[in-house]
Amino acid sequence: MPQIETFYDVMRRQGITRRSFMKYCSLTAAALGLGPSFVPKIAHAMETKPRTPVIWVHGLECTCCSESFIRAAHPLAKDVVLSMISLDYDDTLMAAAGHAAEAALMDTIEKYKGNYILAVEGNPPLNEDGMYCIIGGKPFVEQLKMAAEHAKAIISWGACASYGCVQAAAPNPTRAVPVHKVILDKPIIKVPGCPPIAEVMTGVITYMLTFDRLPELDRQGRPAMFYSQRIHDKCYRRPHFDAGQFVEQWDDDYAKKGYCLYKMGCKGPTTYNACSTVRWNEGVSFPIQSGHGCIGCSEDGFWDQGSFYDRLTTIKQFGVEATADKIGLTAVGALGAGVALHVAASALKRAQKKTQEKTEA
Amino acid sequence: MTRLVVGPFNRVEGDLEVHLEIAEGKVTLARVNAPLYRGFERMLEGRDPRDALTITPRICGICSISQSVAAARALGAAMGVAPTPEGARVAALIHAIENAADHVAHFNLFFMPDFTRPGYARRGWHARAVDRFTAIEGSAQREAVAARAALMHVLGQLAGKWPHTLAVQPGGVTRAPGPAEKMRILASLRGFRRYLEKVVFGAPVEDFVALGAESALMRWGKGDAGLFLEIAADLDLAAMGRGAGRYLAFGAYPLATGPAFPAGVWEKTGGPRALDPAGIREDLAYSWMMGAASHPSTGQTLPDEDMRGPAYSWCKAPRLEGQPMEVGAIARQVIAGHPLARDLARQGGVLARVAGRLLELARTQILMERLATDIDTSARFMAAPVAVPDAGSGAGLVEAARGALGHWLTIRKGVIANYQIVAPTTWNFSPRDAAGVPGPLEAALLGAQVWPDEPTPLSVQHIVRSFDPCMVCTVH
Repeated sequence: MPQIETFYDVMRRQGITRRSFMKYCSLTAAALGLGPSFVPKIAHAMETKPRTPVIWVHGLECTCCSESFIRAAHPLAKDVVLSMISLDYDDTLMAAAGHAAEAALMDTIEKYKGNYILAVEGNPPLNEDGMYCIIGGKPFVEQLKMAAEHAKAIISWGACASYGCVQAAAPNPTRAVPVHKVILDKPIIKVPGCPPIAEVMTGVITYMLTFDRLPELDRQGRPAMFYSQRIHDKCYRRPHFDAGQFVEQWDDDYAKKGYCLYKMGCKGPTTYNACSTVRWNEGVSFPIQSGHGCIGCSEDGFWDQGSFYDRLTTIKQFGVEATADKIGLTAVGALGAGVALHVAASALKRAQKKTQEKTEA
Repeated sequence: MTRLVVGPFNRVEGDLEVHLEIAEGKVTLARVNAPLYRGFERMLEGRDPRDALTITPRICGICSISQSVAAARALGAAMGVAPTPEGARVAALIHAIENAADHVAHFNLFFMPDFTRPGYARRGWHARAVDRFTAIEGSAQREAVAARAALMHVLGQLAGKWPHTLAVQPGGVTRAPGPAEKMRILASLRGFRRYLEKVVFGAPVEDFVALGAESALMRWGKGDAGLFLEIAADLDLAAMGRGAGRYLAFGAYPLATGPAFPAGVWEKTGGPRALDPAGIREDLAYSWMMGAASHPSTGQTLPDEDMRGPAYSWCKAPRLEGQPMEVGAIARQVIAGHPLARDLARQGGVLARVAGRLLELARTQILMERLATDIDTSARFMAAPVAVPDAGSGAGLVEAARGALGHWLTIRKGVIANYQIVAPTTWNFSPRDAAGVPGPLEAALLGAQVWPDEPTPLSVQHIVRSFDPCMVCTVH
């Protein structure tokens, strides 16, 4: 195992101040829902642990996940992408091109065998032997399988990698499938959303680094810390929902008053994500705040559920919880993935442990 | 003669492969392949027409608002509804911010890093280029990413989230900004002006806009723009990758008073003329697509799964009156009649495309400030609702950062019967047509210098990236 520098080493090399570093640690602790007592733990981890090598590959996609990622709130959070997590291979941002780039990918896999995280943006199309997405002369699905073979864990960024997203919309012309349909033997963390929120993306990575394990995942394989509540639960327009005050059409007087968008087809009551708490574009806003209902872009199959402007008919005005939970459960489906995830988390721990032993040896 | 396959390209949105034939150190033939196909047009068929507002932005995470605006315009045309004046103004502001952010990203993250390559180590400017533009670590890259994120606060306020906003609708925008928001937007725009004037131009943007000729431009000498122009002079980027001098623009930022940058056609030999969109045909002779050449309003997307020759790309070949057209910032500025752009268009190479983008960035800053200042917060931002008709058709012709973008929509029985999209890079990176005429990039690559020990020729990298390709939009 080659000596890998720590996160803090990388930051120092980039001229980042201690003060800025500590601020990042507190922001991360807050984003992860941890108390102030965790700040020194995060700082200690970043100072002592080798940075986690990340290989970032792109399949059928629109690059919106990368776009979201490079605008994370704290400047250091961006540095997590641009340097800290050592994006050893990322074809949207990296310097090398052509064959040199392919060589860089092989080198990275070889160098960090069994120790890197594979971040997947987009998904593989399977029709016509994968010919609808060709990277370096080969179908993306082959690159994905090759890179996954020696990965410690896989992060499925966004709705594409997690669920399929719009390219999988009926009739799914290319048979685009999510990563977990192709890679069956690795722990996979789904970070859905189209795109996911930047702070959620950096939060997931920082958690894995700090605590040497996968974050707690829900039944769908999403990090519970960001996906355990509905948009509706923390929506600032919720009092208007409870009071029965609704927008009836675009830009009407009720819209100007900021009433609830439920009648405009808002999917907030059935969507699990952190938009209404973390918000977007450095915490400025989120779709409901812009006057448009939520379309549920972090939910499986959001692209094929009828019109985005159809009102949810299965929730009641009051007693929402019981009914909406039921909807949630239906969406989750009978995955029964709890056990599998536990196994996956242990596998990651084992992988980490092995690495440590190797480093010590 | 040698053959060379260049690709995959990095720092390009999506995937791209270029096949070259080289003789005596020069490219003698180029074929451009877009190897990524998703089939958006097929998915849209049979859906509620309003779904296009959610689905089409997801073609691309970089120009997603351009797709939103095009879809809203096409849908509006089919429904017979137009945005209110203030709705159009806010949509234009949202769109201009995305395009300005894209220009900054292209210059700093995608284009300039090629000058840090070891092949240029002996050049006088190399050390400065490495310091500023090394991929991921360069100081200019960090500043650009930060400035872009700060500018996009405005998108947070007006569009809810970026990428993939939902705020742009056929009748206007869902967000009616209040007076306090207007002040915050103006403050964000002032912050972006500071970045442009301190870092990119090293002088007031008005001074850059006032440049009237290439010779004056080459003496600029300030900011990162100055570093680029120094490099451009040293490597003669003006003559590298020359285009055919045929430019097309659909018109950018339609306001109640007309578009801020006009629609039109400009040819080096014939000068300016009006655009007639009826003259557009998508040729399929060298595309892995079935069917006949047709206007996008009646066109189809039927992929040839056997990928039979002589076709070599998923990309269709759009032509205007039978001719390939170059689109992008330089095309818009040439058609808008800016004297610097017209002067640069005489050669129309790498310098013209990149300097044209810088010129437009400076002009867009001034435009965004004007749009934001003029917002009337008491007005209506959305037209009265209109039902989606049972039958109808419409086109949405807009300008993405990379050039002309068109959506053509047909509604039958209340659902989408046909949807065709022609993206900017579809124009620029199109394959040959039935007459054997190469697409604009293929033509621009002819004569590019290739040194014997170059597996990924530097000149080819510069020429390809000077178009600011967006491959995910190209085929969609």
